[in-house]
Order: sequence, then structure tokens, then C-alpha cells
Amino acid sequence: MGQVGKRLALIDGVEKVTGQMRFAADDAVAGLAHAALLFSPHPHARVLSLDAGKVLAMAGVIGVWWHQTTPQNGYNSAIWLAGQQLLADERMFPAVVRHVGDRVAVVLADTEATARAAIELLEVTYDVLPAILSPEGAQAHTGPTVDADRQPTYLNPVAEVALDHGDVAAAFARASHVSQTHVTTPRSHHCAIETHVCRAWPEANDRIAIHSPCQSVFAVQAVVAQALGIAADRLHVTKSPIGGSFGGKAEPILDPICAFLAMQTGRVVQLQLSRHETFTATRTRSATEGRMRIALAADGRILGRDVVVTVDIGAYCTGGAYLPGSMLQRMVRLYDVPAERYRGRAVYTNTLPTGAFRGYGSPQIHALGEIALDLAARDAGFDPVALRLRNIVGPGAIDPWQGLNLGNARGADCLRRGAKAFGWETRAKLAPGTGRFRRGVGMAAATHINGCFPGDDESTTATLGLQADGGIVLNCALHDLGCGSDTTLAQIAAEVLGLGLQNIRVTPADTDTCTYDLGTRASRMTYIVGEAVRKAALALDQAIRDAAALALNAAAQDLTLLQGCVQSARTRISLADLAAWLVARKTALPSATQTHRATANPGSFAAHFAEVEVDTLTGRVQVTDYLAAHDIGRAINPMLVEGQIHGGIQIGLGYALYEDVAVDPGTGRLRGDSFARYTLANAPEMPPIRTLLVEEAEPTGPFGAKAVGEIATVAVAPALVNAVNAALGTRLTDLPLLPERIILALQN
Amino acid sequence: MTPDAIPRDRLTLWVNGREVSVIADPHDRLSHILRDRLGLTGLKEGCCEGECGACTVLVDDHPVASCLMLGFQAEGVRITTIEGLTQGGGLSGLQQAFLTYGAVQCGFCTPGMVMAAEGHLRANPDGDRAAIRHALAGNICRCTGFALIVDAVESEAERRQADLSNAMEAGA
Ligand code: FES
Ligand code: FES
Repeated sequence: MGQVGKRLALIDGVEKVTGQMRFAADDAVAGLAHAALLFSPHPHARVLSLDAGKVLAMAGVIGVWWHQTTPQNGYNSAIWLAGQQLLADERMFPAVVRHVGDRVAVVLADTEATARAAIELLEVTYDVLPAILSPEGAQAHTGPTVDADRQPTYLNPVAEVALDHGDVAAAFARASHVSQTHVTTPRSHHCAIETHVCRAWPEANDRIAIHSPCQSVFAVQAVVAQALGIAADRLHVTKSPIGGSFGGKAEPILDPICAFLAMQTGRVVQLQLSRHETFTATRTRSATEGRMRIALAADGRILGRDVVVTVDIGAYCTGGAYLPGSMLQRMVRLYDVPAERYRGRAVYTNTLPTGAFRGYGSPQIHALGEIALDLAARDAGFDPVALRLRNIVGPGAIDPWQGLNLGNARGADCLRRGAKAFGWETRAKLAPGTGRFRRGVGMAAATHINGCFPGDDESTTATLGLQADGGIVLNCALHDLGCGSDTTLAQIAAEVLGLGLQNIRVTPADTDTCTYDLGTRASRMTYIVGEAVRKAALALDQAIRDAAALALNAAAQDLTLLQGCVQSARTRISLADLAAWLVARKTALPSATQTHRATANPGSFAAHFAEVEVDTLTGRVQVTDYLAAHDIGRAINPMLVEGQIHGGIQIGLGYALYEDVAVDPGTGRLRGDSFARYTLANAPEMPPIRTLLVEEAEPTGPFGAKAVGEIATVAVAPALVNAVNAALGTRLTDLPLLPERIILALQN
Repeated sequence: MTPDAIPRDRLTLWVNGREVSVIADPHDRLSHILRDRLGLTGLKEGCCEGECGACTVLVDDHPVASCLMLGFQAEGVRITTIEGLTQGGGLSGLQQAFLTYGAVQCGFCTPGMVMAAEGHLRANPDGDRAAIRHALAGNICRCTGFALIVDAVESEAERRQADLSNAMEAGA
């Protein structure tokens, strides 16, 4: 009892702090074969020939494969169910490579050292083709993205989304203040500390097992089946523990190759990327450039916005086709704006493909929207908090694009309470100083979704059952990415069942034993899966009391579950004894399965406040104070919620100030391709952080809970950019705010 | 030269209080030997370039990135991995603090982070917060944002200080 709202340690925490957690590459397996990949050094080239003579003569080499000896089925690594209509433009090993880091060949060997040494000895000839390395170049490369045979043409735009809502022209004609801001956002990389890895091996009945740190076992199954052209039920996918993902492991990049090699050779195959390869050959967040015009009334009301966004999705479609729509969805759920015009397009370039990264378009569109609004506020003489309070959506608001109810939207509470706790009114009035170091405060508001409704069938099935030993097992296709979702869900089950966390065992996702689920993405775990678990727990509670009623000769309605026992005022039985009693009487152990199908997608909201100190000599920014206020509905585990917010700030701080893989416009290579050349905020760089949780219960969420995982990072970059602009009186809008950009702005 | 052509030799290491002996290549990294040869897979590798700290072990009480050390350089020193920290099967105070303070999320950086913190506390028992932050500067965590890790280490320093003064009082 009383599990919800408690700061409980992770259900799998002991394994983690002792190093006993078995990550994908940790189990020693006899006869494990290792694969290594050869990547393209060219941004666009035809792979003409491969001479593997030297390699095949090496001791310990099992084989070499390239485009002429591997399946050439088109696939899209971002699909999450079989048959999903998304441009299938990827190949395991394409005949024409489309970015530096595209896959050319694979070597399988007895050791990783041999496989990697062998890769160096492969002789490949390329016919180098012209490459498009910038979104501007891409805009000119237009045409249909598929030809008459449904083959990808790599012409632009890959996707376009438009919204015309209200009378935008009239809004601008009526406005007292009109502003226009242009913002660019970089390609940032996930930097999960575990590099990409996968294992696969043959199983009985002509099946292949895949053990993968993934965000959806069903997505892995669908993608591998599409790539190999085989039936999905020949693939048995299990989720391994995952050393961080943030969207970076959402797309199965290695799994098709790993499964193919296991199938070809009958070996247990491991394919693990190096850190450099994880930077250069997986995914990044898409770079965007956007322009926002804002029409403000004299009283601060936003009358209209006019927005154009270009998203550089890189060399393959992946989920990039969804991005212009995702960005629009997030944009129109924050402020109540009577007239909106939006044009979003996604374009191919010959650069590393982009994919999901914590927020899926939210960080990009909020960078544009919240920096643009801040500069508009400054020009028109409004306080940034007051201006946002004037316009932010309230409970029950309906968004103008999808027509969804935003639920118990508490963005205004975040703004008000956050501003008060931060001391905004006083601090915003302080002069930045005139010396070498300038101080400034900035803030930003944000919203994010809770799940995939209405785009997908947002349903999840959870089963909870009493085991013979008295424990309760939760079976649901669960993919804890390290955020503690297993713990949160177990807490929900324990709360309903009157148990402690230690009584609940959670099983990771397995395509053979779990019902289909969309996986861990779109901030859906607590809000969607949590509700399924709550419903299953309610049903199990009833089933256990019914069973105990027989054992105790009592009425089920007089019994309650408390601390591992079923009890009434006069009698009790422990769950272990009850299970033993039932087994002895050849009676089925109580279990309950419930499906929850969401028909709402409320908004989570946040307001972030930051103070920065800028060194005008070096251009270095130090974040000196930070406060994050979050509309969380109800925190199932406040410690884990705060952990999400802290981690989100670390990623957002890097997005604002340091992080960019920086595609070289001449060669298409990444400049930020190692931890040495890609700066992350480390412990000394992090500011003191205060968190403030607004817990006003969302009626459709389990115990009132809403999501926090992605929104935690969304407001950070604009809050910091706004603080720097306040400190310096600049109009910096190109992220990240590298020292040289700051110095240049100061010189102008 | 292919890897098989490299001469191999017997290497004797002192790991977690035990002497172990393996046949290794002269260029084998310590992290590789500990993980892949000795099965101490609590040790993680996130970069193999000395940049992430996931592979941190104690070498004579000092935190060292084991991916930057050759196995043969580690002869004659005391090596402690995360597996050597668990006392009598129970959690060490520091490990418990990581749990209690929510200093763990995915857990991949955790073994290295715990070892870096342990090394720092052995040399700097006073638990100064700024010093802890700087001591952890070589360890990247992408999940937690560091503050809760620093909280955990700080609390463990306080606990050890309290233990120490209790012991001194008892002795006095
Ligand atoms: S693996 Fe040794 S520092 Fe990253
Ligand atoms: S807990 Fe995931 S990297 Fe630190």
C-alpha cells in the first residue's frame, strides 16, 4: 500500500550497481562469432567491386558479404509493425552508398580483433557520384520520391505537411508588433554509453533468435523480416538490458545483418559498433532550419504565426517523413493561437540518416518557437513570462490540427509557480553587468505528447499473475530504457495489489510471449502502459480475493490484499500459502489480462528557467542556476521523475551550447565523431538544478500520471539561448551557441 | 601482422584480492583482459579511448581508465573492479547510496562511476561537493544529469565520516 508517490529505488537497481546486469554483450558464449562492418568513405558512390582475397585467406575468418551476396530487399528501419507504409529505401548493403558511414561489407570471424583487422584488408572500388550535403542543395533536387515501380528515387521533398488555420493574413494586418526569427538546430547525437550491439543465433524449427537492446522487439521483428524477406514468425526477438537509448536504438540498424549472418553460418553472432562507428553509422537528431513570423496584439495576445520549416533527414527516409507533422503537432499544442500557417518539409541529403531522439521533433520546434517568441517579447516590450501566460493553453483546450483535447493542461501553473520559485520578477530586471562576465536569465515553456493516439492504435495488453511461489509476475512487452519504467509500472501494480515493490517481478519484452505493443517511445510508458497495468492489477486483485475466499471460507468482498497477505478482519492467508493451497487443489492460479486502448492524448507541460554567465572574452557560457517546473499530473515515483528532468537538462544543455556532429560541407564527414571531438556536459558543467512538480492529476492517466521522459529535454535549449541573448543583448539563433558564434555576435 | 601472429605471453594479475594468470597479447588492454578473459563483465566499455570512464577500475586505490592501460602494465599492482566492491555479498555503502539517491538509470556508466567515486573518496574522505564534481569529470553519464550521483557520493562521504568519528569515540 502507498506505493504511488514514493521515492523507491529501481527494481533492477542492485544488479546495476553491482555490475551483475547482463547487457547484450556480457554473456560469455562458447563459439561466439564476431562481425565487423566496412563503411563507405564517400557520401555518394556506386560500389563497383570487392576483392576479399586477402581476407578469406586469413585464419579465423568465417566469411565476407556485400551487396552482391546479401538480400537486396528494400526496408525502412523505422517501421514498428509489419506492413507499415513507409518509404522502404534502405538495403543491408546498398549497391549505391548514400552517405559517409553507409554499409559496404561485413566480415564474420572468430574474434572481434580478427574481424576488424580483416575489414582493413578488403579492397573496394567505388564510382564516386555527386553528393548533396546541405538542405539548400536538397531543395533544388526535387521530384517524386518513388518512381512508377515504387522504387525510391531520392528526390525531394520526402514529406510535406501544411496547416492553414484561421485567417493568418488578417492576423498580421491587425497586429501591433510583427517579428520574424530564423533558427537553425544542429544534428546532435544520442551518446548512449553502451554502443550499438546485437546478438543473433539459430533456434529450433528454422528460426533465428535476436537479442537486442531495443525499444520494441516487434519493431525489430518487422524490420528484420522486411530486410531479409522472410516471415516475421521465423524471428524470435528478446529485449536485452539497454545501456541508454534516447531514441538512438529505436531503429534496428544492426539486427538485420546480425540475423542474416546467424542464418547463413549457424553461428552465434555478435555485431557491436565502436564509439566512432556509433557516431558515424547510426542516427542523429535531424538538423532543422525554421522561420517563424509572429503577429502580436498590443495586449500581448498572439494573433497569428506563419512558420516554414525544413528538416534535413539525411540519406534514408527512416521515420524522417513523420517529422514535419510531429513538429507541427507539438507547435500547436502550447499556445492558443487563432491563426496558424505552417509549411514543413523533410529533405534527403547525402548525410547520416536521422531518427528519433528524445522528443522526436519537439526540441527542434520548441527551439524555433520559444526563441522566436522571446525575441518578439523583447522587441514589443513584454515580459517573457507574462507574454507566455497570456497565451498558453488551459485545461480542456482543443488543438487546431488534430482536434484533440489537451486534457488537464497545467502549463500556466508551471509558468506561475516556476517564475515565483526562481525569483523571475526580480532577476529578470537585473542588469547584465558591463564587465567581462555578463549575467542573464532566460526561460522557455514547452509541451509534449502522451503516446501515439490518434496516429496509431494506442493499445497495450498487460497480464499480472500469481506465481506458485507467491510472487506476482507482470507480463507486458516492456522495454525499460533505463528511465525506470519497469519500476514505475511495478509500483502501479503494487499500489493496486497492496504489495511492496519486492513482490512484483517484471519480465522484459519477448515476441514469443508478449502481446503486441508499440514499444518505449512517444512518452507512452507511464500514461498508456501504466493504465493497462493498473487495470490488470484491479482485475488480479478481484481474482485473488475470489480464490482466497475459497481458501479462507470468507466472502470475497470482505477481503483485502495487504502486505503480501489476503485478509479480512478475522482471518488471513499469505499469497505464498494461497498459491500453495491452490496448486495442491489443482486449481488455476489467479491471473488477469487487460487491454487498455487510449482514446486521448493529453499534453504534458513545462516551464524552465535558467541563469547563465557569459565570458565575453572567450565566448564560454556557464549555466549558473536552473529551475524546471513540470506538469506531471501525478508523480508515480518522484525520484525517477526528477532523474528524468535532470538527465533531460544535461542533454538539452549540450544541445544549446556544445553538441553538433557537424557534417563537413565539403566531404560529408562528421567532425564530431568521438567523445574527444563531441563535447558533452560533464559533472562540473552542470548547474545546480531545482525541480518543481505540478501534480494536478490528469483524469485519463493512471493515478493521474502523465509523461515526463521526453518533455524533460524540450524546453532546455531555448531557455538557455534566451538567457544568453538576455545577458548579451544579442539575437543568437543558431544552435549550438559555440564560443566562436558568441564572439562573432558580440563583434557585430 | 594479423592478430594470430602476435606472440603471446603469461600475465599474472592481482584482481579483487586474488591472483589470476592468463595468456595474453602484449598489446591487450587491461579492460579487455578483465572483461573478456576473466569474465568481469561488470566492467563496461563505452569508447575504448579513455574518454567516457565506463571502464574505470581501481589500481592501488586510484581510479584508472582500464581501456588505456595494457594488461602487462598492470602486473604487480592491486586491481579492483566493481565485482570486488561488494562486501560479503552485500552492497557497499557507496553502491547503496547510488540506489537510494536515484544515481542510477540505465546502469551502463554505473560500475565505472562507482569506481571513480570510490577512488576519490579513498583519497579525499572529506566529501567536498566541488571536489566530487571534478573527480567525476572523466566519467560520462548520459542518463542522470550527474547531480544525483554527486548527492550519492556526498552522502556516502558523510556516512564514512560519521562511522569514523563513532569508531574514534568508541576507541577513546
Ligand atoms: S571505455 Fe575506457 S574510457 Fe571509455
Ligand atoms: S545511468 Fe545511463 S549512462 Fe549513466
